[in-house]
Amino acid sequence: MTVLGPFLFGAPLALFALLSLPVIWWVLRATPPAPKDVELPSLRLLEGVEPKEETPARTPWWVWLIRTLAAAAAIIGLSQPVYAPGARNEAPDAGGALLVVLDNGWPSAPRWSELIDAATATLDTGGRDAATHLLLTAPQTLNTDPAMRLSRADMAKRLSSLRPQSWSTDRTEALERLKASGLNPARIFWASDGIEEESGRAFAAALSAIAPLSVYAAPPAGPAAITGIASQTDSVSVTLRRVQSRGEERSFVSALTLDGSALATAEAVFDDGEREAVASFTIPAAALSRIARFTATGRQGAGTVWLWDSSNRSRRVGLVDAGSVAQPLLSDMHYVRKALEPFASITEGDIESLVSTSPDAIILTDIGQILPEDAKRLTEWVEEGGALIRFAGPHLAAQGDDLLPVALRRSSRALGGALAWDEPQAMAPFPSNSPFDGLSIPPDVRIKQQVLAKPAPDLARKTWARLADGSPLVTADSRGSGTLILFHITAGPDWSDLPYSGTFEHMLRRSIAAGRGESVSDAEGAYTPQLVLDGYGRLAAAGANAAPLKAADFGSVKPSEAHPPGLYQGPSGTRALNAGAGARPSLIEAWPPAARLLGDAEARSLRLAGPLLSLAAILLAVDLFIALLVAGHLPRLGRRTKGAAALLLVCALGFSLAPQADAQSYRYQQMPDASYRRVSTAPQVVPIAGPGRATQKEIDAALTMRFGYVETDNGALNERTRAGLSGLSSVLSLRTSVEPAEPDALNLETDALELYPLIYFNVSDNAPPLSATAIAKLNAYLRSGGALVIDTRAGGTVGTDTDVAPLETLLEGLDAPPLQPVPTNHVLARSFYLIDDFPGRFANRRLWIEKTGGPNAPRGDGVSRLFIGDADWASAWAVDSRGRDLYSVDGGPTQREMARRFGVNLVMYVLTGNYKDDQVHLPALLERLGNGDEEEADPRLPERLPEGGPQ
Amino acid sequence: MNASSDLRAEAEALARQLPNLNFKAEASEAAHIGSAGRRRAGTGEQFWQYRRYAQEDAADRVDWRRSAKGHELFVRETELETARTVLFWCDPHAGFNWKGEGDIRTKADEARLLMLTLGIMMSKDGERIGALGAGRSPSFGRRAVDRLAEDISNGAGRPFPPPPRKSATLVIASDFYDPIPEWQARLKPLAARCPEGVLLAVAAPIELDFPFQGRVKLHRPGDLGERILGRAETLREDYQRKFAEQREALLALATQIGWRFVSHTTGTPSLHGAARLKLAVESFGARG
Repeated sequence: MTVLGPFLFGAPLALFALLSLPVIWWVLRATPPAPKDVELPSLRLLEGVEPKEETPARTPWWVWLIRTLAAAAAIIGLSQPVYAPGARNEAPDAGGALLVVLDNGWPSAPRWSELIDAATATLDTGGRDAATHLLLTAPQTLNTDPAMRLSRADMAKRLSSLRPQSWSTDRTEALERLKASGLNPARIFWASDGIEEESGRAFAAALSAIAPLSVYAAPPAGPAAITGIASQTDSVSVTLRRVQSRGEERSFVSALTLDGSALATAEAVFDDGEREAVASFTIPAAALSRIARFTATGRQGAGTVWLWDSSNRSRRVGLVDAGSVAQPLLSDMHYVRKALEPFASITEGDIESLVSTSPDAIILTDIGQILPEDAKRLTEWVEEGGALIRFAGPHLAAQGDDLLPVALRRSSRALGGALAWDEPQAMAPFPSNSPFDGLSIPPDVRIKQQVLAKPAPDLARKTWARLADGSPLVTADSRGSGTLILFHITAGPDWSDLPYSGTFEHMLRRSIAAGRGESVSDAEGAYTPQLVLDGYGRLAAAGANAAPLKAADFGSVKPSEAHPPGLYQGPSGTRALNAGAGARPSLIEAWPPAARLLGDAEARSLRLAGPLLSLAAILLAVDLFIALLVAGHLPRLGRRTKGAAALLLVCALGFSLAPQADAQSYRYQQMPDASYRRVSTAPQVVPIAGPGRATQKEIDAALTMRFGYVETDNGALNERTRAGLSGLSSVLSLRTSVEPAEPDALNLETDALELYPLIYFNVSDNAPPLSATAIAKLNAYLRSGGALVIDTRAGGTVGTDTDVAPLETLLEGLDAPPLQPVPTNHVLARSFYLIDDFPGRFANRRLWIEKTGGPNAPRGDGVSRLFIGDADWASAWAVDSRGRDLYSVDGGPTQREMARRFGVNLVMYVLTGNYKDDQVHLPALLERLGNGDEEEADPRLPERLPEGGPQ
Repeated sequence: MNASSDLRAEAEALARQLPNLNFKAEASEAAHIGSAGRRRAGTGEQFWQYRRYAQEDAADRVDWRRSAKGHELFVRETELETARTVLFWCDPHAGFNWKGEGDIRTKADEARLLMLTLGIMMSKDGERIGALGAGRSPSFGRRAVDRLAEDISNGAGRPFPPPPRKSATLVIASDFYDPIPEWQARLKPLAARCPEGVLLAVAAPIELDFPFQGRVKLHRPGDLGERILGRAETLREDYQRKFAEQREALLALATQIGWRFVSHTTGTPSLHGAARLKLAVESFGARG
């Protein structure tokens, strides 16, 4: 290498070619540009005419300037110049072996490229043929052997392929390796991270004792590491540390989710003289639960990444979606959701999907019967450690299942009602063994109703809270490693005032916490690495070298190659091992006097050959274009061409900027369940359902009101039901404004039930039980306001009770409300006709409807959704295609007419709901109005007010 | 549909747009007797018709042989036979068979179009048309037009033709960029045999305008020589002056040998050129 000022030349002889520049210049100057070639037949006319002025034989000055510059750039580039300001200071005869020591722990990552540049620049100094050796200070299996001899070119390649490690350096170990190798270098260059922590000064002293030492120290500027974290329910404070304490510095910390989107950013300010700074986040608990890691914004390196494990997380709770809710503010779930929202992340859905996400707790409100498959899933999930929290209610009181901590009596106990002696009860202090122990008892809370546990020897042990009279209010039992918890009241305010009080929220929180995980000892089990950090602080899948870690070792083990920083998966969630945890990095402030410290500029070199040759190539390309333009081979470089060129340029710019634009086209939005989702702000394309989505049957059913009937295996029965509904439809069309179309046969598993206001189910004998899908669809249909008429067609004599035994097997899992016979004066008996019996082919049979009005009754508008009877109405209604009656009826034409009237009433009731119920009071209201005005009745009012329809 | 049938169709269209050819009958009758029947009674050799004797007829016009067959006197009439021969020639030089950028057709094609138009009109009128130096004798009728279209397109490579054996009206189409003395030498023998002739000079717009700028290498199609102009715009005025001089000299030459001179530019409508050419040819009839 030849030194020329701050430049080194790899091939200095090539510079002699610069002498030829004047010749090149002269040649270029003399060569005119090529002329435009044109045909002209009349050229002969110009014979003998001499032009007044010829083209200047010279090339335009800027053309030869470009060409000369291109030639000069090419010549200088070929001489391989290197800009190295530090080169002068090196002794030119510094031959002998060069040892490059490189710190490749996590503190090097922020200034890694500078360290590599400095080490590479050192290679340019000294003799070209002297051997070089490499020593890396971060411990590693199969680390480089310092005794291995590398040529300079190999060394440069080797250096540029190195990456910082995510664990710390161990200089003592490195020194031992150097001594063990027996290498005796002539010079040592140490590209250091400048951190004292790993005996930096002692290492420098030892190196300078071996050979003359040059040091390039690049300590991380700004925050070096995140050393700790403290979290509360809705806030987190992150502690940052820097290596030196002078000056005031500001930096930012981002809270990121697992997929790398930032949820929040907080500022940390290092005061002058302070090494530590704290960044405080205030984040809603639901969002907090989504944070997976914190990073110092804009800095790379494993030290400034803090992975956040699940040990300190808020709980995930699943609420079972009980179908559509007509009145959300009266729903039980509303109270549960409001109580949990501040501190737990909530998901809603059906049991199957909730169990698959494995939440900490699942809350069920007043669900009496769980589908057998769901019950199986829930049982498995509870036995694996889930907490199932259930609330009582009318359904549960009617029929319980076995996913309960205690056996229940099959009715509820009402306190303080008209027929009860007791007053509504207050709550007793919590038992000392209860997780609720310590919570304050609100004195004004009264419990009006509860479900009662059957007495059992262990009931007291299972009771977490009780009423003042000693009856249990909350019971719990362990099942497998999980817990079943039952609140003996509703989650809403129907049965008690408890949901209004703040204690309710605390009880829920403690239930969830007590239910999950707390019993699992944290010091047991091994954690296997799942995601690890690389030296730049990026997450990657764990490599082969990463070994599992014992739970007890967390907190004491130092990150190393076997245990790299990252997330470890174990029995109780994930644990994180962080590179910067508890680190106290500080500068090496006193260097040994023999060591020579290189400044930033001296340790840097810049190879100029590539840029110069590129410049020459670009200039030649420009010149080519100019030549073509002058020669007219690029004709019509008019406005259009220029516009196209400008357009191309803009497009290229646009493409290079496009990824950024993409990256900004989303934002974060708080979802109703208080979680944060990434919401794209790009225009969304809403796909319109193609015509193939809905079947013609569904479209017809949606457009014209009609009844449906359940298709059974028995074809004759289906035909009978169809004829019956068809007869009822024609009666309705004749007598009322309800004009249904022909009834549809429905397959409960596949058809869309919600399109039919009324579904008629004629139960065949020995029908197999309905499938789980069918039951689930029927449940959804009933919850969303459909009406189901079940007819067992059994008939029977007066006084025999309705035989519902076949229904219990047939409809197992149907979420049936409590039933009652139709009371007298029920609106069903007067919604169109005034009737007092509901006959079909059989007269004097009972009709069971949903229980309304009583203390156990579910809320809503009091309209029954379920009708169960055995009078075989469809046969009484049935007519053939010409309108002739098909089947005989017990009581002759009179009873058939009454059966039809019942059918009309039923449809009216189903379609109008409680509207007709209110109409019952119309005479009384009008009478009251009339009394106030005059003595005579208003002549406009008819004499007899319509109570129903025509009699 | 090839180029020549294209030309033919264009020429037919042009011929329909132009009024009928109007030679002064008396003058031409005297000049060319017995050439071609004009399909009406007049002086000629062929029998045309007998007609009844009228009072104003001279007695010696009575055809006694016919009259002797009956009681009435008949006069024998012969068919009028007046025809002129028009011969066309189109310069086959590569420089003439050339079109500038943006022109519709070459100068030669334009000249052929004009000449075909004239030929179509003449053949309808019974004149005999043909190509000069083609070796086929001039004729009339539709076939004559076909032959003409064929012959005037096939002149490539042939030297300048010798004068025709019989006197005829000549139409010579070229761009006439060769020096005037050369043209004079070529036309002299023709003019000696044929006192009537038209020079049709066709030029391209580029040749009129000389719109070149900057460094330009010019060469003439068909010639090997080329010329590089450093700044072509400086020569524009010289060129245009030279062009005008050439045209004037041509006009002078045509006048001197008693011919007409018609100039046409490919950029202008062909109808104008055809009309001017027709006027020039008709003027020979008028000259008496």
